[in-house]
Amino acid sequence: MKRILWLFIAILSLGTILGACGGKSDGDESSSGEDVKQEITMNAKSEPPSMDPALATDTTSGWVMDHVFEGLYTRDQDGKTVPGLAEEAEVSEDGKTHTFTIREDAKWSDGSPLTANDFEFAWKHVLNPDTGSSFAFYLYYIKGAEEYNKGKGTVEDVAVKALDERTLEVTLNAPLGYFDTLLTMWTFYPVKEELVSSDANWAAEADTYVSNGPFKMTGWSHDSELVIEKNDEYYKEDEVKLDKITFKMVGEATTAYQMYKTDELDFMMTLPTDAIESEKGNEDFEIVPYYGTYMYMFNVEKEPFTNKKIRKAFGMAVDRKVLSENVTLAGEIPAYAMVPEGADTPKGDFREEGGDYFKEDVDEAKKLLKEGMEEEGWSTLPAVTLLYNTDENHKKIAEAAQEMFKQNLGVDIKLANQEWKTYLETTKTHNFQMARMGWIGVFVDPVVNLDYFLGDSPNNRTGWVNEEFDRIMAESKVEQDQEKRYEMLHQAEEILMEDFPMMPIHFYTNTYLMKTNIKGSANYVNRYPFMKWAEVEAK
Amino acid sequence: MYILKRILTMILTIWVIVTLTFVMMKFIPGDPFASDADVLPPEVLENMRAQYNLDKPVAVQYALYLKGLASFDLGPSIESRTRTVNDIIKSGFPPSAFLGLQSLVIALFFGLLLGIIAALYHNRFLDYISMIIAIIGISIPSFILAPLLIKVFSVDLRIFPVATWGTWMHTVLPSIALASMPLAVVARFMRSSMIEVMNANYIRTADAKGLSTAGIVIKHGIRNAILPVVSFIGPLFVSLITGTFVIEKIFAIPGIGRYFVDSIFNRDYPVIMGTTIFFSVILVFTLFLIDISYRLIDPRISLTSKEG
Repeated sequence: MKRILWLFIAILSLGTILGACGGKSDGDESSSGEDVKQEITMNAKSEPPSMDPALATDTTSGWVMDHVFEGLYTRDQDGKTVPGLAEEAEVSEDGKTHTFTIREDAKWSDGSPLTANDFEFAWKHVLNPDTGSSFAFYLYYIKGAEEYNKGKGTVEDVAVKALDERTLEVTLNAPLGYFDTLLTMWTFYPVKEELVSSDANWAAEADTYVSNGPFKMTGWSHDSELVIEKNDEYYKEDEVKLDKITFKMVGEATTAYQMYKTDELDFMMTLPTDAIESEKGNEDFEIVPYYGTYMYMFNVEKEPFTNKKIRKAFGMAVDRKVLSENVTLAGEIPAYAMVPEGADTPKGDFREEGGDYFKEDVDEAKKLLKEGMEEEGWSTLPAVTLLYNTDENHKKIAEAAQEMFKQNLGVDIKLANQEWKTYLETTKTHNFQMARMGWIGVFVDPVVNLDYFLGDSPNNRTGWVNEEFDRIMAESKVEQDQEKRYEMLHQAEEILMEDFPMMPIHFYTNTYLMKTNIKGSANYVNRYPFMKWAEVEAK
Repeated sequence: MYILKRILTMILTIWVIVTLTFVMMKFIPGDPFASDADVLPPEVLENMRAQYNLDKPVAVQYALYLKGLASFDLGPSIESRTRTVNDIIKSGFPPSAFLGLQSLVIALFFGLLLGIIAALYHNRFLDYISMIIAIIGISIPSFILAPLLIKVFSVDLRIFPVATWGTWMHTVLPSIALASMPLAVVARFMRSSMIEVMNANYIRTADAKGLSTAGIVIKHGIRNAILPVVSFIGPLFVSLITGTFVIEKIFAIPGIGRYFVDSIFNRDYPVIMGTTIFFSVILVFTLFLIDISYRLIDPRISLTSKEG
């Protein structure tokens, strides 16, 4: 008996020791009165796979890095691209050479000055084949970049050069209309040369992490929490109100929801489906657009979707409003085009400007199906299987769509699902008729969404290749006149929607819960809330 | 001699596990670098594959892996671009092990207690109560019990935090959720074993000698009845301290349990290998310790096997 007692005591004390190692998680209850603690706790859902700007490829890492880094350009509260570290930018007459002047007061979080050399180093580091960066291709617009990254050129030929401490000169292969927006992406963030060249693992722990944004990383206990605190060396330090943000890594939506309800979290995203209904209408609940498209791809090389009319018939036979309101429930926006809402053009929102490319119309769908079958000489439609990757939500949508095809077109389709990595393999080898896919823009410009369907894009799994589409997309990239550029992108989208190699289902949304006493967070359509200007008010 | 032989067998066993896992892993379709944002030019993909030796023939990969293993280097993780498998185990094992040990203690203490009480009051009220508790423990899966515990003790009563890791208070609910099933199993094992022992002749002899009931139960009853439970503790101990996917996910615990499952979905080859090896080393070693502990509990079992 005594021994068991001792064991208990030993374990209890072990618990205290381990607990102490777990990091500071003293919560963040805001005390009443004027002295409100400027500290918040947010759920990041998972460990950021990489906090190294050269290696990160996902939105969780991107979200946290946006808080601790800043590039030549950044975004304002409305999501518009504005100068960040670049104080001045000059473009040569041919539109290819950009000369950036870096702010004099730019500093690293350790207090050392940030220079143009750090940018030159960072970008060449991304392009270095040994780095193994997956997003290196975003830098291919720079002269010599692609060759160096693919092992065919040398680092000296990459046209990024620090002329002096504050001047960075970049030469592109061709003018690029959205270069400033591209520069807001994390792959273009500077990194501190001395640090990165001497310690390959600098981004794995908080102790060695140096950055330059509104916040700096002060704690990271893996798979548990990541803590960032206000960076006093940031040049607009006075704009930053929050002292500390703790990112928790709670993957289970129901758990996160209960933590939010017991004030252990101030912010969570992606609510459990059953909670959305009860939260709707509450002041702290919000449905925000998310810059991505949920679609069913058609394999245009496989019957029956070799026929355009049949593809369109399927597209018109699904009631997207019913799907959103009764199946997915998170206020998804019915989609009748490829580019989601949220991309700003000189004339307004790209989507509003472009409008819808088709309507749901059961009679028209039936007619198209009949015509298509006549064209092909089929008396019965070849059997169709809709493939999706294994997931409860995808399943619900697929089942609802299956029912709608049956009711509206009189077509019985089969459903099949595969685990994610197997699914990717299957769709990549075009071994499907109709398959689910989602595409979220890494940065907000219609070009990201439309490039998806380029003939040589590895993402284009539909087998659809259209020379006219490819040509217009290529021309749009060198077009300097913004209005003309967007005009071309509209044309390209029209071609895409006319040929219909996929049927859009909805534009993504996300569901947020944020405590009402937190003000000033900025919502961007392709990122989770940006807290640079946020502050905690008394309850 | 016996111990040396056992150690050699252990190494052989682990090598067989490593080889089998390696071969099976290579048969899973799918690519660790595949994603829906498949934008990598082939040259870049080659760079990345080269970083993980995936550009080499499978036999060479296998040889390189064994070479790394010999120096306890389990390689880099593919999913987390900045951490190695050693890092993941180093930071993930302590929380899992702590939870596992704590729930093992709960399971053993209360499980044995319930089992003994049930046996001593065989077919009486306390027996039925104990066995009802045990059946509930076995039949309610942890993914139901865990949210229920959270709902009652965190959301309604606000005694414990909902989830995550940090203080000892964070460990209470997951430990209970984790312990419920083995607790019930231990109780049932102990009950049947104890009933058998208490009907044995030597107990009757001890009783006839005039020993006190407590003396009989503790000295002769439990000591003999506990043997089947001990053989069950080995695998139980290993599965508890290496973490569980469900509990760690629900309670957002930074353990290694999730890596056993997630690594397979991500085709994160080094992590699949690393976690499997880690698990098997602990398992094989624990079984070895259990063998030795038999002798301590039951002197009739000899460590020097006669047939050699």
